[in-house]
Amino acid sequence: EDQRETETVNTELLAHRRRLVDEWNAWRARSKKELAEEGYDHTKEAQSEEEKEEIE
Amino acid sequence: MRPILLQGHERSLTQIKYNRDGDLLFSCSKDQVINVWYTHNGERLGTYDGHNGTVWTVDVDSESRFMISGAADNTLRLWNVATGKCLYTWEFPTAVKRVAFSEDDKQVVCITEQRMGYQCAIRVFNINRSGEGTKQSKEPAHMFNPIGSKATVCAFTSQPGIIFTGHESGKVSLFNFKTGEEVDNNERAHGDVVTDLQMSPDKSYCITSSKDKSARIHDTKTLDVIKTFTTETPLNSAALAANKPYVLLGGGQEAMNVTTTSTRQGKFETRFWHKVFEEEVGRVKGHFGPINTIAVHPKGLSYASGGEDGFVRVHHFDDSYFKTQPYGDLQIED
Repeated sequence: EDQRETETVNTELLAHRRRLVDEWNAWRARSKKELAEEGYDHTKEAQSEEEKEEIE
Repeated sequence: MRPILLQGHERSLTQIKYNRDGDLLFSCSKDQVINVWYTHNGERLGTYDGHNGTVWTVDVDSESRFMISGAADNTLRLWNVATGKCLYTWEFPTAVKRVAFSEDDKQVVCITEQRMGYQCAIRVFNINRSGEGTKQSKEPAHMFNPIGSKATVCAFTSQPGIIFTGHESGKVSLFNFKTGEEVDNNERAHGDVVTDLQMSPDKSYCITSSKDKSARIHDTKTLDVIKTFTTETPLNSAALAANKPYVLLGGGQEAMNVTTTSTRQGKFETRFWHKVFEEEVGRVKGHFGPINTIAVHPKGLSYASGGEDGFVRVHHFDDSYFKTQPYGDLQIED
């Protein structure tokens, strides 16, 4: 009976951890997608700033 | 995982930073000097002399060409990493507590202390990278005084024109540094002073540590608290491990406060917590006083800690660290 109880706890803990990982991964995927959509590219901005300087 | 002891500072460490390649480690201290070390063997490559007060903060650009430092002598200095030469000095009415380079190395943000009738100020300087780097503009490109609680830490975010700040009150904020407007804040992010702030590689999230004994992961766009790590000691530093789902926390009770609280041997440990499960996974002993600053190798090969005891300890992870999957083979995104 004790063993069965331990197993239940372990199963619950594993399910809990899996849910945490799924939540984390979903949030990371969302963040990365947003970053890509904003299209903010540091190297691009650096270039345009340089061009501006040249024009001046 | 036998640590390499970096001996060279005479007083407590205030901040340490790896360069982008991870071959160099910069350290600054209350002894007024900045040192740079080879991380693979702990040999000292050089010293940057010039500050006349505690050096509070240091950062290095992505090319390891320029280094920037801030100190209690009320100056912000730009250095040539390779020659050790001070290229430019900016002077302020109060101490410089925190500096950080932007992703493109073209800007530097700094926080100056609130003191003697001067408000806490945040300034952004454009760094002229042409030539030797000795020709810099004296005036900041942007400057503002954060309203309310003074800022203690800051860094550029992934959003253009926006910096993330941590404050004395425990607040975290997003500021538009061009207008000085506080775009968003979380007044209750921490219950006490925010002591450290380190960004994820893509700057979309960050970790903060606080004297309130906790560290937190925040979404740098929404300011949502994603994770909380609660310890039993005031924290001075928090770092994100690279390529492993861990965070590294360091702190400890100040010596002057030890008698007033329950003492425990060996509490000056770097604590490893699982960043998704919010569970402690291990501790590394070593320092004889509080841990003031922690940094992780950009590729996750090692980590370093700087202590109130004046030592820097570099720990190269061994094979077992890379092989172990204490929680099975769950794939966790960076």
